[in-house]
Amino acid sequence: MSDAPAVQIHRLSKSFGGIEVLRDVDLTVYKGEVVSVLGSSGSGKSTMLRCINWLEEPDRGTIRIAGTRIGVDDKGRKMNNRELAAIRARTGMVFQSFNLWPHLTVLQNVMESPIQVKGMHKDEAHAVASALLEKVGMAEKADAYPFTLSGGQKQRVAIARALAMSPEVILFDEPTSALDPERVGEVLQVMKNLSAEGYTMIVVTHEMEFARAVSDQVVFLEKGLIIEKAAPEKFFTRPETERVRRFLELSA
Amino acid sequence: MNGQAWMLLLEGAWTTVWISGIAIALGVVIGLVIAMVRMARIPFIDQILVLYVSLARATPLVTLSLFLFLATPTFGIAMDRNTAAILALTLNTAAFNAEVWRSAFLSFSREQKEAAMACGMTNGTFFRRIMLPQMFTSSLPGLVNEMSFLIKSSPAIAVIGVVELTRVTNRITAVTYEPLPPILAAAVLYMLIIGALLKLQAIAEKKANRLAM
Repeated sequence: MSDAPAVQIHRLSKSFGGIEVLRDVDLTVYKGEVVSVLGSSGSGKSTMLRCINWLEEPDRGTIRIAGTRIGVDDKGRKMNNRELAAIRARTGMVFQSFNLWPHLTVLQNVMESPIQVKGMHKDEAHAVASALLEKVGMAEKADAYPFTLSGGQKQRVAIARALAMSPEVILFDEPTSALDPERVGEVLQVMKNLSAEGYTMIVVTHEMEFARAVSDQVVFLEKGLIIEKAAPEKFFTRPETERVRRFLELSA
Repeated sequence: MNGQAWMLLLEGAWTTVWISGIAIALGVVIGLVIAMVRMARIPFIDQILVLYVSLARATPLVTLSLFLFLATPTFGIAMDRNTAAILALTLNTAAFNAEVWRSAFLSFSREQKEAAMACGMTNGTFFRRIMLPQMFTSSLPGLVNEMSFLIKSSPAIAVIGVVELTRVTNRITAVTYEPLPPILAAAVLYMLIIGALLKLQAIAEKKANRLAM
């Protein structure tokens, strides 16, 4: 299945307390693609992202990671904790609030999953983690604890932690929304570098310039529906719907 | 007080230390297990544990010790004094520890769990590698507090005839007719025991990884 898309979402639906947050969402993300997901708060962007690695369980629809269905196996049986973990290990996620583990150093945060989940040898994990921290510009903070870092630094460590599992896709859930304005740039720069290196990324964001410069596809969600899906030049210059036109005007 | 009296006191202190030590070790682990089972909210079992915790916290140690020592033979369980004493102390401290652990469970951030899940950790790996080390650090002051309470309330087991540090002072007084010196000496020994416990806590906290708040 090496040529399967990195992520295939088919007719994904999800409700919270009777309110439909996602309605029949379809999205295919190919290897090496960067997809930006835009939309106002409450449009379902984050929920869609969290369904991809089953942090939220969808009500209906199928999601495949590199061809393998997540959450439910081929016989229609719900996956158990271990099976879910095995497929989640093939995705990476970067959270708005970083979610680093405070009792571990920067280096240990990055090494933990390869050792515990992949069974990687400690020396190898150390080498992998050091290289990734170098990549995100955090090598000199390897032995620091998370609480000594700025938000931008924490987020770069969180990105290295996600990369450490060599995921098929990295899910970014508003990665710069909790940052001081002057720290946003350093995180976006790291993400730009990753896209240039060919990583597959789905990015829920409010950063229009980033979406325009880096994305292969831009998706706009409104009340749980994808109302526009286009290449960034088209999306930002010739949007098809009035809703997106208004959104772009207000965000400009 | 002569040398023999001091020997008796030290023997009493040793009895207090080893009986309390076993109860503390068992109580910390059993408390954790109770808290874990309670977090799972299994119907019926949850209610039983709530009842146990409430009863154990409300029952004086003297009463519990007497009950276990006197009542168990009628159920056909023969229990020597020391076993009954350890059981009484363990049942008591486990209930308090369960509450300490439970509050650590309840205050643990969901976000850290999501990060672990997203990295492909199973629930077990997450608990062992991410949650438990932090719960241990955050619960340690409460647990050590309860340990020192346990040691200080351990004279209750004298009521079933265990010759621990307080009971031994009576024996010395019975010979010397001077109650004050052995009681003061016992107080100093209690302070040394608790002091050693607090020293261990300080070492553990230093070794335990820091927590970011």
